[in-house]
Order: sequence, then C-alpha cells, then structure tokens
Amino acid sequence: MKRFRRQFFLGTSALIAATVAALWLHKKFCALPDYPFLTGWILFAAMLVLTFFNARKKLPFLALGKAETWLQIHIYLGFFTVVLFLIHLNFRAPHGWFEITLAWLFALVTGSGVVGLVFSRTLPRRLVTRGGEVIFEKIPALRHALKTEAENLALGTDAKSAVIAEFYAKRLAPFFAGPKNFWLHVFESRRPFNALAAELNDLRRFVSETERATLDKLAALVRQKDGLDYHRALQLALKLWLFVHIPLTYGLLVFTALHIVLVFGFSGGAR
Amino acid sequence: MSEQLPAPDFDAQNYARPNQNWICGHACEGQPCRQGPDANGRCRATAECKPVLETNPGETKGRWRCTRPGEPCEFGPLPDGSCCRPIAKCSPVPTLRVWRGRVTLAVIAASCAVLLIVLGDPPWRNNFISPGEISRAHSGAAFAGLAATNHLNQSCGACHAAGNSGPNPMIHAALHADPGILDLEKLANAKPAEPTAIDESCAQCHVAHNFHQPDAPTISCSFCHAEHQGKMMAATTDENCIFCHGDATKMAATQTGNNFTPVIHHFADDHPQFRFITEKWRDPDTLKFNHALHLTGATIPNLPGGAKLDCAFCHQPDSAGAFMKPVNFENNCRVCHSLQFDPETPQLQLPHGSAEFVTAFLRSLPKQYADLAAKENQADANNFVQQKLAALRTQFGSGEELERRVFFSTATFGPETQIGTLSGGTRALFPGCELCHEVKSSVAGSPAITKPMMPERWLAQAKFNHAKHANISCGQCHDAVHSKDTADILLPAKETCAACHSPRGGVVDTCATCHTYHNATVVTR
Repeated sequence: MKRFRRQFFLGTSALIAATVAALWLHKKFCALPDYPFLTGWILFAAMLVLTFFNARKKLPFLALGKAETWLQIHIYLGFFTVVLFLIHLNFRAPHGWFEITLAWLFALVTGSGVVGLVFSRTLPRRLVTRGGEVIFEKIPALRHALKTEAENLALGTDAKSAVIAEFYAKRLAPFFAGPKNFWLHVFESRRPFNALAAELNDLRRFVSETERATLDKLAALVRQKDGLDYHRALQLALKLWLFVHIPLTYGLLVFTALHIVLVFGFSGGAR
Repeated sequence: MSEQLPAPDFDAQNYARPNQNWICGHACEGQPCRQGPDANGRCRATAECKPVLETNPGETKGRWRCTRPGEPCEFGPLPDGSCCRPIAKCSPVPTLRVWRGRVTLAVIAASCAVLLIVLGDPPWRNNFISPGEISRAHSGAAFAGLAATNHLNQSCGACHAAGNSGPNPMIHAALHADPGILDLEKLANAKPAEPTAIDESCAQCHVAHNFHQPDAPTISCSFCHAEHQGKMMAATTDENCIFCHGDATKMAATQTGNNFTPVIHHFADDHPQFRFITEKWRDPDTLKFNHALHLTGATIPNLPGGAKLDCAFCHQPDSAGAFMKPVNFENNCRVCHSLQFDPETPQLQLPHGSAEFVTAFLRSLPKQYADLAAKENQADANNFVQQKLAALRTQFGSGEELERRVFFSTATFGPETQIGTLSGGTRALFPGCELCHEVKSSVAGSPAITKPMMPERWLAQAKFNHAKHANISCGQCHDAVHSKDTADILLPAKETCAACHSPRGGVVDTCATCHTYHNATVVTR
C-alpha cells in the first residue's frame, strides 16, 4: 500500500506538472503559424507510446522494462494525452463528420481506459474480499464439477427424496447449468443467491433428517456456484473492457493516419 | 468466505495454459486432454498413449508396450501398435484473447473499409472530410459558377490540390506537401502570417488585394480569414490587426512620410486621436453656413407646418441608413431661402445652380415678365412688363446695379435689402448670392460662383452606420450648436466614441467594427 501511494503521488505530481507546463507552453506558443501541426505530432507520438503498451505485453522476451512501469506510464500518459488532445483542438469543439468521428473515437478510447482503470482498481479488491482464487479459464471445469456433484446429490442412485429431486429439477438445474447473474454480480447484488438460499431453507421443513443433510450439502454447492459466478462476472468485466479499449485504439490510429494525410494534403499541399 | 470456493489446485497431469490461444473442447467438462489444441486451434487428440515397440534380443517381431502416463491401461496396445484407448476429438474453443484479436482486426478492417468507401465517392468524401461548413461566399451555385468561369474545380478542388480526388492523389499531395509531413524543423520555424501555398488558390479569384496601405507586408489570406468556420466567414479579430499594428518594428517599416500611426492595441487605450483633430483639418467648403444660427438663432422661423428647424430636416439618412444624403438647395434650403428678387413679383424667382443662368435670366427680364404675363393671362402684357421694369429701374437704377446686387450683396438690412423681400418677414431674405456662396467677379461675362464641395465622408477608412446610433441624439456626437463656421468639422473626437466603444462602455470595440483592411475584389477571367 505504501508503494502504491508512492506511485500515485509521483504519477499525479508528474501529471499535474506536465499539464501546467503544457498549458503554459500552449499560451506562449499558440500563435505560431504551424502550432496545430506541432501539437498534432506530439499528440500522435503520445498515442503511439500508449499503444505500444499493448505491444510490450506481446514481447515479454525483450528487455523493455517492467510491465508494471509501463502500466504506470500508460495510465498517467493517458490522462496527459487528454490534455494534449484539448490543446490540439485549441479547446474548441471539432467540426465536420471526420473530425467529429475522430474526436469521438478518442473519447471512447479514453473513456474505456478510465473504466478499465476503475475496474482494475476496484474489482480485484472485491474478489479478494469475497474470497477464493480461481483461474478464469478453469471456471467452466469447476462449474461442471459442481454441477455433477449436485446432480449426484439430488438425482443420483443414493438420493431417495422426491422433494429434493423436484426442487433440483425446477430451481437448481438451471442455476448449475451455466454462468448466472453477470450484471447483478458486477453491481454487487446478492439478491438471487439469497432468494435461492431462502428457498432451500424453506424446503428443510418438508424433508427428513437424512434429506436435510443432503440439502445442507446442496446449499454449500449453491454457495460455491454463486461464488464461482461472482468470480467469473468480475474477472470477465476485467477482461471485457479491453474489447472496447484495444480495438477502438487501432481504429483511432487508422483514422489518425488519414487525419495526417488530409491535414498535409489539404493544408500544406494546397494548389 | 474463502471456504465457499474450491482451493486452487495444481495438477501436474492437467496443467492449464491460460496464455495459449485455444482451449480444449473438453475443458468445460473438466476433462481437457493433455495435449491440448495446436497453435491453429486444431484438436491434436489421438489416443491416451503412443505405444513403443520393444524387441528383446533374439526376437524378430518384438512387443508393443503401453506408455500411458500414470499406469499402463488394462488391455495394452493393439496388435498393429496403436493405442486401444482413442480419445474423442473435440472442437477447441478460442480464448477471450483470440476473440479480442478478432474484434480488433474486425474494427481495423471496418475502419479501413468505411474510409475507402467514403473516400471513393466524391459527394460523400467532400462532406465527410470537410473540417467544417464552408462560408457562403465559397459555396453554393454562385461560387460554382465563378469557379467554372475561372476554369477551376467547382468543389474542394477549387482551393485544394487534393480536393475532389481519391485516396491516392490525397496521399501523393500529403507526401509532397510543403512543409513536408516530417519536416518538423520547417513546421516549428514557420513565420506567422507568411503566405502559404493555399494563398495562391485565393488569388485565382481575388486577383488584386486592395490593401489599406500600399507598403503593408504581404500576409497570408488565411491569417485573417479562417475558412470552414460556418456560413459566415469568421470575423477578423483584433489579434490579426495587432500582428502588425501592435508591432513597433513592423509599423516603422511600413510607414513613410507622416508617421501618424503608432503602435495600437486597443481603441480606448492607445488608438491615436482622429487625424482631423490632430492635424487640425478645416472644411474647405466655400459655402457659408452657420450651424449655431440655424439651430439656435431667434430669427430662424419655424418650418412650414410649425416645426422647429432641426438637424434631421437637412440631414436625411440614405436608403441603407448608414450615411446621410447630401444636403441640396432645392430640398433643404429653398423652403426658407427664397430666390425672389422683385419685391412685387413673388412668382418670379432666380434660377439656382449656375451663375450663367442667373445672368441670362436677369438680362432677359422683359421676356421673363412677358412669359409671366402670358401665364397669368394679363390683359395688357406690354403694359405689365413695362410697369415691372419701371419699378425695378426705380429701385436699382440700372440693370447692371441689379445684377451686381444679386450676385454680390450680402446685406440683410439697409437699401440693398431691397433686392428682394417677402411680405410678413417670416421667410429669409435674399440679399444676394454672396450671402451663402463665394462669388468672384469676372471682367467678361458672369461672375464666377465657387461650387460648394461637401465631402460625403471625412474618415474614408472607417466604417460607420448612423442607423445603429439612432438611439442617441445628434448633438452627443456632433457639436453643431456651437459651430458658427463652415470650416468646422463636426465629427466627434475619439474620446466621444470610446465612451461607449470600450470595455468600460460595454459596446464592441474591435478594430473591424470601424475599419476595413481591403476591399475584396472578385474577378472573372
């Protein structure tokens, strides 16, 4: 925690200092005739550095510094790029379909990055609080194992309770069949699990002592499945934001390349 | 809570490889095969083991041995050496990372496709890449017609070499741009307002810039006129003007002779006093007019209808309301200043506008009276004419004296008053032309009357609109009630304007509010 605070302090200080310096330089040099070209190149260079973070992860064999350092650079340079973007726009709204599209792409990439940062700062803490450690890729196998165990308890040859079998067929089979309640888990709602647990508890009044032991085991499996779904939902959220952030980043680079061509072709290359 | 979930396990025989792109299709059942899919997502499962042929010394055929991890299977390899426990083939599942890569490629492909489609179609392309709405002057049918007349492209290509062309010419234009794409040194060292290549496009139609100073430095059109900012071209800002007018070096270099324009930043602060004040300009008009007398004099009669003479009676706005129509005798003076020269004959008046006409009129008085008699159906026209001429002769002595008094008398009382008068005395008298005009005697022919010269505008470089100032009285700016001399220039001083046109006054005070830089001249060739 102490290390995190130190990183946060250094990063935030550097970001504030860079922002102040950039705004001061903007005020001083904004009258330069080709100022938008210069700010554009600086912005483009910053975007390339940010994009290279993705490539850095694909090149672990190269001695390019620690991934953690790259991540810190990515986060704070990402925020600073927003400042550069506003300076490049001269703090005015863009005009024209192409420039508006380009600006929206930038906003979406930045916004998804901020969402990802929030996710990566909050979701792991929630996972630790909830307990357990599960590799995301193993979750289907674990879910299958839980389902098999629950089926054996409720429907197996040793099971002799029609009440439990019926309850399993109606309520528990769909629950164990696959991942459930993605959004409710993301928003930390335990309402479906509590409802199911309450139903299991209600069922205890209608079964024998032996069957109650089975119900207790089923309740434990339901808790494990719910915990597994929770892990899946949060780990999936930690991965899904990249489905917006990374593809749009490359889309943004494509549009940026055309922007450069248009700017030089139409401004510098006038007839 | 930790007891709710299974503890992490590490099965050496069933090792998970989350960094690989494909997952065994049996993984969701908790039974992935040991080999897993290959790099291309194909199932590599064959059998649980690959039997090995072991041949002991002296044997020719040998024996197949099961190599299954853990322990050999119950039945062992088949006679042909294959494993007896084949593994069911699966359909490997791509990982999220593979899906993310696919989505990324799809977005890149979609971006390129959309851009190629849009850039390939001229109407879409021009609308899509335009960084903002073109001004009215550079768009529409009128502009297209002008461009066609000047043999230019009627769309973006009129100004941009890459305009109205496909992706390849665009890239070519970008690669051959000046400054070049990576010519950062040139980009950083470009001089402000320096003409660029696009200015040549402007000059295709705007052939002759009419600069307000002939020795002003040549600056880029786009320095002041930003296109693609909407239907109305963006207004020139004070910063554009201050680029030169705020720079003492530039101003010193561009001014010759009377260095009357110092460095200027704001109208209310360091804008110089108007030249007509600092240089003590005087109105050179030879017409004699006393504003103070006409506006405040006790002898000035009321106008027909009873209204008092005021500024608006003589100074009428033109059709646009910006400036005032020129004052003229017929509309503004004759109502009071009669040209009646014969006290007894108000129907007969001198002509106005030409000294020769007046002379000719006076020298043909018998004919003028005869015409009047005929017009009024006098029974004895000859007698009427003789009576009138005799009366004039009695009053003036001779025709020469009458002519002299008509031109040169300025007296409004005494004997010479008798040149003309009207009963009741409510109208002004006509003592002679020289009361208002400069009349010069001539040895031969008529006296010469200097034609009045009233400039329509004193500050020709400045814009002004009287209509926009209609809510303030004339006297707030024009001190006419104290002006007795025609030579007075009744324009306000800078301070009068700055009282409103300043940050303190709250009214717009930009340079372009009053000044124009040049008159854009659009020509067709």
